[in-house]
Amino acid sequence: MNKMEINETLDLKGVPCPQNSARTLIKLAGMDKGEILQVILDDGEPIENVPPSIEDEDEYKIVSTEQNSDGSWRLVIRVERS
Amino acid sequence: MEIYLDNNATTKVDPSVIDVIISYLRENYGNASSIHKSGVRSSIAVEKARKIIADKIGCLCSEIYFTSGGTESNNFAIKGVANTLGLKSGKNHIITSSIEHPSILEVCRYLQTVGYKVTYIPVDKNGFVNIEEIAKNINENTFIVSIMHANNEIGTIEPLEEIGKICRKRKVLFHTDACQSFTKTLLDVNKHNIDLATLNSHKVHGPKGIGALYIRKGVRVTPLLNGGGQESDMRPGTYNTPLIAGFGKAVEIASENDSKKIASLRDYFIDKIICKNNGIVLNGPTGDERLCNNINILVKNLSGKKLFRELNKRNIFISTGSACSSTVLTPSHVLLSIGCSEEESHSSVRISLSKWTTKEELEITVNAIEEISKSS
Repeated sequence: MNKMEINETLDLKGVPCPQNSARTLIKLAGMDKGEILQVILDDGEPIENVPPSIEDEDEYKIVSTEQNSDGSWRLVIRVERS
Repeated sequence: MEIYLDNNATTKVDPSVIDVIISYLRENYGNASSIHKSGVRSSIAVEKARKIIADKIGCLCSEIYFTSGGTESNNFAIKGVANTLGLKSGKNHIITSSIEHPSILEVCRYLQTVGYKVTYIPVDKNGFVNIEEIAKNINENTFIVSIMHANNEIGTIEPLEEIGKICRKRKVLFHTDACQSFTKTLLDVNKHNIDLATLNSHKVHGPKGIGALYIRKGVRVTPLLNGGGQESDMRPGTYNTPLIAGFGKAVEIASENDSKKIASLRDYFIDKIICKNNGIVLNGPTGDERLCNNINILVKNLSGKKLFRELNKRNIFISTGSACSSTVLTPSHVLLSIGCSEEESHSSVRISLSKWTTKEELEITVNAIEEISKSS
């Protein structure tokens, strides 16, 4: 997983819901098929709310979800659209 | 046929902006703070608009705060910084210009009543602020300099970059009211060393009742309102998604080409009206130093009110002085500041163009002014 090439990173620590979902989806909409977005999210509501918003869209796939040592989360999303 | 030439007061909303607004009233009406799909859709609209506006002035999305418009943004900037520091800090001095919009001047006057000191920098005959006077008047108590980007009455585009450099060097915050200039002439918060900037929507074919304040990261501003946490607690209140989305669309479609075309029509009108009438003088600067859509003329020996009424009868809509003061028969503070007498001020009118103004409309207006001027 660490070897996966990350094309873009969005640090959304401190950004409330659903602004974090909105900003993730806007970013993904501007990316090409196969590209990878890494999103850093706060623990709690953000990590509970953002992944379902991404999964609602067929064109994006959450590849991994890992917690960082500071408690924040690293979400890796791939653009799947045809 | 109506000829609308009062675009410094407000503009007609672009049809594509109306479509966006309607879609967020009719279909995508979710609260942009709700976490269900409908709320996320609205939040996407808000964040897209924020990105468009941030990109336009070269700042981060997190530095844009939506407000109800220019007046609120100006109040937010000046009172917000003053309240953060507090009079007890000794930072009690504001520098502004004598030709600001009332939403800056009245805030300053209010702050004077509670103990602040304000220096009003004079302007020259074309409305340019005296930069040396700004530098000379900054003292250890000065906490903010507020100078508008483009004047709403005579179109003067102030030298923000130079003023910004002085403020940065002297460690004083720099605010600009960019309501008239936004999207019409370059506003780059980094190049111009701006810490706070007031932006609004309805001067650029967007809806009324929505605006924004740019606040540079790290600048502390106390919110005017307290509430439900929106806009990072800086400006709470339910997101006005339709108007925010409309504002974003208006900024997105604003083009440099439109500004160039308008400037060329402005110069056509100025040349033609001055050439045809010996008694007409342009108030304010010319060329790139003037807002692309602004014309302000002094029609000697004719009252501005009379010219306004006669043009109004012919369905040509202009303004006497600024829109905000057009119900009051006091001379324009801007025209007095550039050296006009009270009589000259009362004989001046503002004609302001839009991307839809045509050469034909301007020809009709020039001829009408000539006819009214001759018959009086």
